[in-house]
Amino acid sequence: MKKLHIWVFYISIFFGTMPLSGQNEVNSVAKDSLEIIKTPLSFRLGIDLYRITLSQISDDFSGYEAVGDVRIGKDLFVAMEIGSLETKKQVEQVNFTSSGNYLKLGFDYNMFENMEGMNNHITLGLRLASSKHKHYLNSYTILDRTRFWPSSDLPINNGYATGERLNLSAFWFEVVVSFKVQILKNVYTGVSLRLNRLLNDKLPENFDNIYIPGFNKKTEDNVFGGGFNYTLTYNIPFLTKKNN
Amino acid sequence: MKNIRLFFLFIPLTCITHLKCERDDICIESVIESPDLILLFLDTKDVSVRKSPLNFSIRAIGNDVPVLRRGSNDSLLLPLKIQEKNVQFEFIINKGSEEENIDTIQINYQRFDTFINAACGFRSNFILENEPAIILNPGDNWINGFKILKDTISNEETAHLGILH
Repeated sequence: MKKLHIWVFYISIFFGTMPLSGQNEVNSVAKDSLEIIKTPLSFRLGIDLYRITLSQISDDFSGYEAVGDVRIGKDLFVAMEIGSLETKKQVEQVNFTSSGNYLKLGFDYNMFENMEGMNNHITLGLRLASSKHKHYLNSYTILDRTRFWPSSDLPINNGYATGERLNLSAFWFEVVVSFKVQILKNVYTGVSLRLNRLLNDKLPENFDNIYIPGFNKKTEDNVFGGGFNYTLTYNIPFLTKKNN
Repeated sequence: MKNIRLFFLFIPLTCITHLKCERDDICIESVIESPDLILLFLDTKDVSVRKSPLNFSIRAIGNDVPVLRRGSNDSLLLPLKIQEKNVQFEFIINKGSEEENIDTIQINYQRFDTFINAACGFRSNFILENEPAIILNPGDNWINGFKILKDTISNEETAHLGILH
């Protein structure tokens, strides 16, 4: 809960200072130009379709991710993702269920030069992200290369190392490449690809954060991960600034 | 514009197929697996002296697969059952001769599992009970007793249990 409040605080700082900086930028351009410059200060909200679809078709995944961004300059956006999920994983000999929430907050910068009337984005962005999660270790098979007793390959389903690992967390950053196309007025579809780098994580006792909600798979030999989403977003143009 | 929109519909498909093809973790051979119990045959008169039994043979109860003998004659590696808290073996001395003597031994232990990594999973470790072993056929035994050398069995570097004879 404390963490959530901290995030809310950060967000309100971002949002609170935004109109000011946006306005200044527009004014400075407008000063020595007679053209009409229209920079909509807009708020875009949406949902990740991939995770919704996966929840429907897979028994081992249920979750969602909400996305949003606010345009604070001509090409600059404050962007965030909030997600919650529960997923069952079989990684080699270990079967576990991870569940938790995550929040990602950062910036997107649009590098795509739109033609008149078009409104598409190819953005490069950064996110800071954190998760609060837990694991439940369902079952595992013991490593024994020279099995002598016939039943030694049976999975351990209860007792011993199985069970819950509570109060875990992770902190990482993401480099995001994202493509957004306006398909209808104020409606966008978008795809983002993410390279994640883990900064730190609270390890469970006698287990590891093999999977971290929002970060995805954590590998043994490096700290990088990857992810993506496929979003449908609606743009709410709540402020339109016109300068003559 | 139409083409771009079409292209966007294909990206998710590409991503999904890509995710399904992620590489497997491989558990490398050098990672220590669940250890066996290392037995040492010791002299009853002086427990610091190793003493090999003559014409020794061993048979696991409940498994006809022969127990592999590794290393020297005065030591033995016994595979423990992970599903149970004890395991039985027949220890045979002077096999084939008139003085053949079979002692049936039960070894008692607790198990605990420790996580290695995602690729290898878990390893079993064992702790010998205060009474680590008992003879199930009393009378005319060639084994005189047992001695715990190391009660925690988490590797195969040192001997864990001594058999006095």
